[in-house]
Amino acid sequence: MSGGLSSSAAALAVGAGLPAYSIVVDSQSMQLWAGFLRDPNPIHLDPRAVQAKGLGDKVINQGPANLAYVITMLQRSFPHSTLVALEVRYAGSVFAGDAVQAGGTIVEVAREASGVRIRCDVWLRANERDPAIAGQAVLVLPKE
Amino acid sequence: MSSTELPPPPSVAGSSLAGTAPYVIGAAENRALCATLGAAAAADGTAHPIYFFIATQVGMGQTVAGLCALCDFNVEEGPMIASSSVTFSHALRTEQPYQVTGEIKSLVRKRSRTFGVMDVLEYALRLSLPDGQRVLETVNVWMLPRRGLA
Repeated sequence: MSGGLSSSAAALAVGAGLPAYSIVVDSQSMQLWAGFLRDPNPIHLDPRAVQAKGLGDKVINQGPANLAYVITMLQRSFPHSTLVALEVRYAGSVFAGDAVQAGGTIVEVAREASGVRIRCDVWLRANERDPAIAGQAVLVLPKE
Repeated sequence: MSSTELPPPPSVAGSSLAGTAPYVIGAAENRALCATLGAAAAADGTAHPIYFFIATQVGMGQTVAGLCALCDFNVEEGPMIASSSVTFSHALRTEQPYQVTGEIKSLVRKRSRTFGVMDVLEYALRLSLPDGQRVLETVNVWMLPRRGLA
């Protein structure tokens, strides 16, 4: 897969940013995710339910779908890596039609016998609002 | 009113969330999920890692509504997921049966500037292979707003 970070020492430096991943959230995907999650909550499916709860006028994306954008960003940044751990806070909502961007920054690099262990700050923002998701991920890159 | 004056939350710590049947990540569903992310499903049979959440949540022995009911909370009141953590021991694979086990770790009643009185629910879920080998463990935290106690 192209577009990932090089495994060179320069690319895997603390402070290096991860290639951003962007997608526009649509209500059709929310319907599919309702099936994946077996979650019929109408705030993901019916704008009238969102309005009735005073949460806005567009359907709200499922939190795990938001997290999936972050994981996909990590997979694209490190195509041959193994995701070892992830810890996130769900800090805000993402609505139908939002343009979201997932990104991150390397905060720790440990070269070990089995490969390179990388810790990253990760986030997801929608339309330049405060992060909807923020947290950290740990990945291992295989030894070259 | 101080926190000591709030009625205690239901005593649910330790309640089992073990699934009743193995959970299988369908290859077709994994492809459909990856498509919503603008990504191709892996050709080697590994599933998208977000299935850590889906497999545990769907495969546990309770629906979200049922989990809320255990905590004496009506799901229509709007539970809010606050955080998730996961530690993988192995990658997830499609068409592989996984056993789901887990339990409620705590239910703590507190005051919040944003939500008033709320209960903070923390529960752990694990996926294992049929031979018992651990694949992952995840911990989710939900906020259950107790508007009636505000």
